[in-house]
Amino acid sequence: MRLLLVEDEIDIQNFLKSSLKEAGYFVDAASDGRSAEQLAIEGEYDVLVVDLGLPDQDGISLILRLRQLGVTAPVLILSARRSVDDRVRGLEHGGDDYLTKPFALAELIARLRNLLKRNSSSGGEATKLRVLDLELDLLRHEAFRSGHALQLTPQEFTLLEYLCRNAGRVVTRSMILDQVWGMRIQPDTNVVDVHIYRLRGKVDGKGQTPLIRTLRGVGYVLKDQ
Amino acid sequence: MAGEVEVLGDVAARTPKDALYGRVVREVAELAGREVPNKLQSNGDGARNDSVFFLQAGPDDSLRLWVGTGTGEPNLRAIRSTQIAPDHPTDLRVSGFTIPFRVASVRMQDGSRIYLGLSERDELRVLRSLRSRFFLLWLLIVLLGFLIVFFTTRRMLSHVRRISEAASRIGHSDIHTRVPTTGRNDEVAHLALTLNGMLDRIENSMHQLHSITDSLAHDLRSPLTAIRGQLEMSLTDPRHADPSLGETSEPIVTAIEELDRLTEFLNTSLDVAEAKADALRLTRTEIDLDDLLRSMVDLYEPCMSERGLRIRLISAGSLKIEADAALIHRMIANLLDNELKHLPAGCVVTSRLQLVDGHAELILEDNGPGFDTEISAHLFECRVKGKGSKGHGLGLAFVEAVARTHSGTVEALNRSQGGAMIQVRLPLSSGQKTENAVSRLATAN
Repeated sequence: MRLLLVEDEIDIQNFLKSSLKEAGYFVDAASDGRSAEQLAIEGEYDVLVVDLGLPDQDGISLILRLRQLGVTAPVLILSARRSVDDRVRGLEHGGDDYLTKPFALAELIARLRNLLKRNSSSGGEATKLRVLDLELDLLRHEAFRSGHALQLTPQEFTLLEYLCRNAGRVVTRSMILDQVWGMRIQPDTNVVDVHIYRLRGKVDGKGQTPLIRTLRGVGYVLKDQ
Repeated sequence: MAGEVEVLGDVAARTPKDALYGRVVREVAELAGREVPNKLQSNGDGARNDSVFFLQAGPDDSLRLWVGTGTGEPNLRAIRSTQIAPDHPTDLRVSGFTIPFRVASVRMQDGSRIYLGLSERDELRVLRSLRSRFFLLWLLIVLLGFLIVFFTTRRMLSHVRRISEAASRIGHSDIHTRVPTTGRNDEVAHLALTLNGMLDRIENSMHQLHSITDSLAHDLRSPLTAIRGQLEMSLTDPRHADPSLGETSEPIVTAIEELDRLTEFLNTSLDVAEAKADALRLTRTEIDLDDLLRSMVDLYEPCMSERGLRIRLISAGSLKIEADAALIHRMIANLLDNELKHLPAGCVVTSRLQLVDGHAELILEDNGPGFDTEISAHLFECRVKGKGSKGHGLGLAFVEAVARTHSGTVEALNRSQGGAMIQVRLPLSSGQKTENAVSRLATAN
């Protein structure tokens, strides 16, 4: 996957470059709008990450310009502004996404993956999810571990489904709040953790290999190997 | 009149008493009569003028000459029975006439007397008609004045009303619109222009505030992003996964958590600052508070029971408001976080959602220790927090800010039966209001 990163802060550009490379992207970086435009026309990118505050122009105008030039790759907007601009929302409705700074790397990578998935439009939805010996029946809302049914509340089922869909990848608390509860909030209490503990209590029974792992300071991951 | 009598006397004295005499006197009398404006020809014969008479009486009071309507006998009788002072006009009542004649007399050398009588009837009539016309005109002027004042005022007031409507709309929604201007050059147009000028200045300073908070946020966020990124990378660095070095990741985790708290604090304090200046930018959508509260309670319930708290939800059903979803979510999360942090185990939190006076009322009460009495008067101010609180003291200030920008109110107090109560009131969305009205109608029928 080829990714164009447009970010003028060198520190941020550096760590994004290395962590995106680590996540499997071939990354080209630009520090201003003009060189970004040049790169975008010359190279074929699968996805773009654009910071809104560029030294020579507004990120939004860059994106609009690129769209005029025929660049169709999805764009993930990074914004240091507090309230997200209406124009950004407009773009978001057009199939793109935004992330406000500071953000968790895991979230950036998850959103990029979503954008690319949306773009390649995968076929029909599966009715069953399987991760190792964990199986979810999405139609009947039933979950099984090693063939034994798990007694989950609807909320826990949705949470587990979200973890399964992202098996092997880190999900952060704010991603869970956003995707499972539909809220972009930052509680300063451990509300999400408690849900995960409860779910873990049901999924990872005694004598079984624990599937749900906590990555402290980052989030959670459902093991897939 | 005395002058005319003299003229007549003069004419009578000089003119020889022949056939011509009567004619001359008659013509003079006619002329005198014509001087009365707007004469009324009356008493049927039309050609005669009964408002003037001329009479010459001999020394024996016999009628010598008569010019006037009728025979002159009644006039002579009236003259005989009335003392008429010479050279001085006197009122004379003649039978058959309602209005007295004004009569002047002069004595001739031959002992006869000449009387000239003028009725004031025509003058009175003219006066009366003048009076009624004047009154009519006056009425017309007053009516016209009233109409002019009425319509001008109405027009002016409708203008003022449009301005005030526009101004109140601006107050609550967006600062970009302006009150309507007429383009005329009057006080109302000036008022509109002044208001618009004021709005320009307000918008300008609001814009200034936004750019300050935005650049502040930007300047703080970029380094925070860089730091967080570096920390996260060193955390996921395989070297730290080495069990022998396991403990080194602890400070990094703490640092990341502190950074997140700092970010949240930054966001909240900028939001509170903007809300206090009535400059918080909202993206309104329709939110069902009932749905939202249910999922919030779902989210918080496990954490609460973990700490030995219970939470109950009492709601009459769907209540829709038009609000900024992100802010309302954070507001409710804030309230529940507060309960989580401050209540000792064993307490019960009750969240109640109800419809009061066209407002959605969200009440959160508990049976805990309540607010510190020292700070209860300043609960909604920034940086005010209880003694044991580990928070940044923005929680309730933020709740108040959000309610305020949505034209709502917040109240916090200690319940008489113990525990704290926070009540948030938010105006319903227009759609919900109609729904309620319809359902009320339905029940009324």
